[in-house]
Amino acid sequence: MRCSSNKAVGALVLGALFLTARPPVRLCAQGSGVEALAVRLASMTAVTGLEQAMADSLLALVPGSARDRAGNVTLTLGGGNAGGPKRLVACPLDEVGYVVGNLTDDGYLTLRRVGTRAAYPLFDQQLEGQPVTVFGAGGSVPGVVAVKSTHLTRGRPTGSDPVFTADNAYVDVGATSRDEVRALGIALLAPVALTKRPHRYGDRLLAAPAAGRRAACAALVAAARAKPRVKGTVVVAFTVQSLYATNAGLGTVQALRGPFDETKQAALATRYTDTAVETVSLKDAEELERELVKWMEGR
Amino acid sequence: MKRTLAALVLLSVSPTVRVSAQDRIAETQTVLSQLVETYGVSEAEGPVREAVKRLLPPWAKSETDSAGNLWVRVGQGDPVVVVIAHLDEIGFRVTAIRDDGALELQPRGGFFASLYEAKPALVHTERGPVPGVFVPRDTGFSRHTPPPLRVDVGTTSRQATEALGIKPGHTVTMPKRFVRLAGTRATGRSFDDRVGDAALLLALRHLDRAAVKHQVIFIWSTREEIGLEGAQGAAAILGTTPRRVHAVDTFVSADSPLELANFAVAPLGQGAAARALDQSSITPPAYVDSLAAVAKARGVKLQVGTTMGGNDGSAFTRYGVVDVALGWPLRYAHSPAELVDLGDVASLADLVQAVAESW
Repeated sequence: MRCSSNKAVGALVLGALFLTARPPVRLCAQGSGVEALAVRLASMTAVTGLEQAMADSLLALVPGSARDRAGNVTLTLGGGNAGGPKRLVACPLDEVGYVVGNLTDDGYLTLRRVGTRAAYPLFDQQLEGQPVTVFGAGGSVPGVVAVKSTHLTRGRPTGSDPVFTADNAYVDVGATSRDEVRALGIALLAPVALTKRPHRYGDRLLAAPAAGRRAACAALVAAARAKPRVKGTVVVAFTVQSLYATNAGLGTVQALRGPFDETKQAALATRYTDTAVETVSLKDAEELERELVKWMEGR
Repeated sequence: MKRTLAALVLLSVSPTVRVSAQDRIAETQTVLSQLVETYGVSEAEGPVREAVKRLLPPWAKSETDSAGNLWVRVGQGDPVVVVIAHLDEIGFRVTAIRDDGALELQPRGGFFASLYEAKPALVHTERGPVPGVFVPRDTGFSRHTPPPLRVDVGTTSRQATEALGIKPGHTVTMPKRFVRLAGTRATGRSFDDRVGDAALLLALRHLDRAAVKHQVIFIWSTREEIGLEGAQGAAAILGTTPRRVHAVDTFVSADSPLELANFAVAPLGQGAAARALDQSSITPPAYVDSLAAVAKARGVKLQVGTTMGGNDGSAFTRYGVVDVALGWPLRYAHSPAELVDLGDVASLADLVQAVAESW
């Protein structure tokens, strides 16, 4: 297996290894680099409010970090020179997603969307007829979202079907009854997301749901691990619930750790934003890492 | 895996060995998954044809005709019977490279283009697959009819795209994987008609050649999804010689929370399905009865029903050949989420074997 190749096959093999939210992904020689981190984080799912698995991975990736009462992962750098500025750099780690809202008698899951701030008007429609992953108590469970068969629409008036929403989603995990679903470890509130297969193309472009956020958080992880000579005190925060009602994660960091003299968001420009192929440049992510180190060092 | 390999070795040595239901599912998955994870849009079926050849039993001698169809003949004498499944899958063909480097596409086969929108893409070139993405629409926010899809391969000029080895005529798909679900269910893309291909292979692997009393021609055909073109070529070669043809293709099932259940009712897990009436052929009722009798005599689970879509067998009917189409229930046909029960696939393979040996 090649770890860091721009070639198509290398990208696909690497992507295939990062299919689920299970954290113990093998990192290869360049494992501490932004590119490998971005692919790793983009392979994971962190439905807003249900980010624990992602937070666990960040705790492992960022030595000295801790989880606060809201679920944010924070790290304090510097603080040795009294009187220096106290600054915050934050990266939201969550994504708009779904949870299981109900189980039908014949073994389908229905969904409730979690998170409202999606820029793409057809965000929910991206689920239709696609593989998804359900994160049950016993681990990830593969499934698909039902779609009408093309053939059976022929000769029948279709009119103009309304845009697909989460209310139209029936998740099929191969079960034939509610009891079979439960036996798979799936219950109400289990997170559900499109199956993540980070896809690299072009000149070091990364396509995946929430790729921009994941690559920005990867840059922040790399910057924090670079042991910057921090000016004053810098709190590094990977925040939860940024896409829900009150941005409770960032608010909690500010309430518990603030006030801050300056706040910086780790963010990257994206193409095809909020789609399943949201695209970010890994070159930009590496540049962001350098920029964040400079900022932490007050340069 | 060891158990599966052991079963396969036994089968290659002695076709009459009986295996457990569990091993039968494992063998079915081993064959089917290799076919599902191979790419072959209509007119570019070469990789799938090679996969079928690799999976044939050692005794089988294959030949490829000028249309790209793969043939294996078993037995001698009349009546000649044809069993045919198609190699190709739906997808796209590159029609042009734009000045901005993006690819313009033509659909190959019938499907909802929206299911590909904003998803990863693979352009199949002589140098190997080139990754890209299907560009999400920025206008016309409706359900299944996006503006014509394009693929972005990460370039900004025609020259840069051409430098990747991409040319008009290349085919485009979405990455795919075979994934096991709960019980004996599985999902992936292009089960239509890789399940049919697998059923023919499994039937040949288990076939008791001494029991075949007449010639049976197994054909893996090309270009079904764009108009049964490969089958038309095979039918022209054979003319009026065959007595029957068995197209082995998807029974598009209404076993779904989204479908009307007033026909196409073939639940998953209940066995193979006879396509007694579809959009291209009608099996004479007496032949449906004979098929049901063959299945019953061999203890093969068979459902009989009517569904939509056409089949390769209809290319033979103009020569007076009776089309007795076979299938298996498929959910979410022509989508990236196609879903089968592997028990039905094994049942279909048993049915094909029974037809070859005893009808």
